[in-house]
Amino acid sequence: MSIMDKPRAVEKFRKFYKSLRKNDWKIGTNLRVLELVYSNACNFKCKHCSTRAPLGENANALMSIDKVSSLADEADALGIFEWNMHGGELLTNAPILFELIKAIKPERFYVFLTSNGFLITRDIACRLAEAGVNRVSISIDSFNPEIHDEFRGVKGAYDRAIKALEYVQEAGMDPYMNITVGHFNAFSEDVENLLRYSKEHGYQTFINIAIPSGNWQGHMEVIIDDRDRERLIELRKKYGNLNRDLWNPFDKNKEGVLGCQTMSKLYVTPSGDVFPCSFLHIKIGNVYEESLKDIVDYGYSIKYFHDYREKCLAGEDAEFIKKYMIDKKMSVMEPLDAREVFGARDMVNGSEIC
Amino acid sequence: MERVFYMTNIESYNKIFMETFNVEESALHDLQYQGVKEWDSIGHMTLISDLEDTFDIEMETDDIVDFSGYEKGKEILKKYGVEI
Repeated sequence: MSIMDKPRAVEKFRKFYKSLRKNDWKIGTNLRVLELVYSNACNFKCKHCSTRAPLGENANALMSIDKVSSLADEADALGIFEWNMHGGELLTNAPILFELIKAIKPERFYVFLTSNGFLITRDIACRLAEAGVNRVSISIDSFNPEIHDEFRGVKGAYDRAIKALEYVQEAGMDPYMNITVGHFNAFSEDVENLLRYSKEHGYQTFINIAIPSGNWQGHMEVIIDDRDRERLIELRKKYGNLNRDLWNPFDKNKEGVLGCQTMSKLYVTPSGDVFPCSFLHIKIGNVYEESLKDIVDYGYSIKYFHDYREKCLAGEDAEFIKKYMIDKKMSVMEPLDAREVFGARDMVNGSEIC
Repeated sequence: MERVFYMTNIESYNKIFMETFNVEESALHDLQYQGVKEWDSIGHMTLISDLEDTFDIEMETDDIVDFSGYEKGKEILKKYGVEI
């Protein structure tokens, strides 16, 4: 199913496009996606897990389907046009996943599932497509199966992930190969091999940059530097099917940067906490206590999340990372509270908005 | 004195398709949404926007969704008074 089969999603997508264009192709305060970690239960033990799922954190916590449904209504009303179903690995409980898809009324969103691909069969892929899922993103860590499996902590993970991408494509959904690029591999032949494979198979490649949070918290050595960043732009132009959140997808020259996607890419945990992005475990509110709109308004009152930033705050802005992330005890389950982290000087116009 | 060249509607229409999707004029007749990799949802938004700017119209969502190909697009533009 294409987004063009979903008029409501197209309507919101178009507003987003027009607003970006009017704003000189900067993200501004345009909301784009809501990422819901419905459950943190997982069948893998990934070394770089951002939700610390291998530690068993939050494995049994689930948001009620009614709450998911009302959250989707709120997101829709705010113009959010993409919905990312995130884990953990949501296919460890497929019946609940399909209930979840139905609950959000998928005809209103470009819906995607982020998965390790291990449990995706041809049948599951068809059922996901029929249910209204537009895209499935499968994470691949290396073109070398042994390295991928070792990284993921499960033998056979690579072969199943590669197969899953084929099933996703066959079922008519958009296959995305998610790869993580950090200082340790930005110039590696391995990354080039993955990019070549993705391009040759007609997939999209989504680049997550290595971020010192989750299992990598405090590991500043994974952060990309200016040279690595230039390399990514070079690869973006070379392959043409590369995507990063902060890049402008509408730029034919493959150079434009929309800016850091904090707030534009809201992240909601099973307990209802809302973060400005998936890697910044600082809560700006809780959907059980406030409306999503109030949470968004508060988030945008913090200048770090409001002002244009060419670099990813959580993954590239060393000053921000050192000040707010490196030695702070925070995780998806135990986030910091933005009201305690940021002071008056950190607010838009220099004064805290209550 | 500089000469100003005005394009006909069909010339403008074709030019937008060729530039947006990087295709030759000979391939336009059969061109469909998702028929070339450039005509995805991202390319579609650019196409619609360029058509609206060029012909000074604003399309309804239903028409944006129905704009499934080069030929179909001509029918849709007719609704907005644009004869291709």
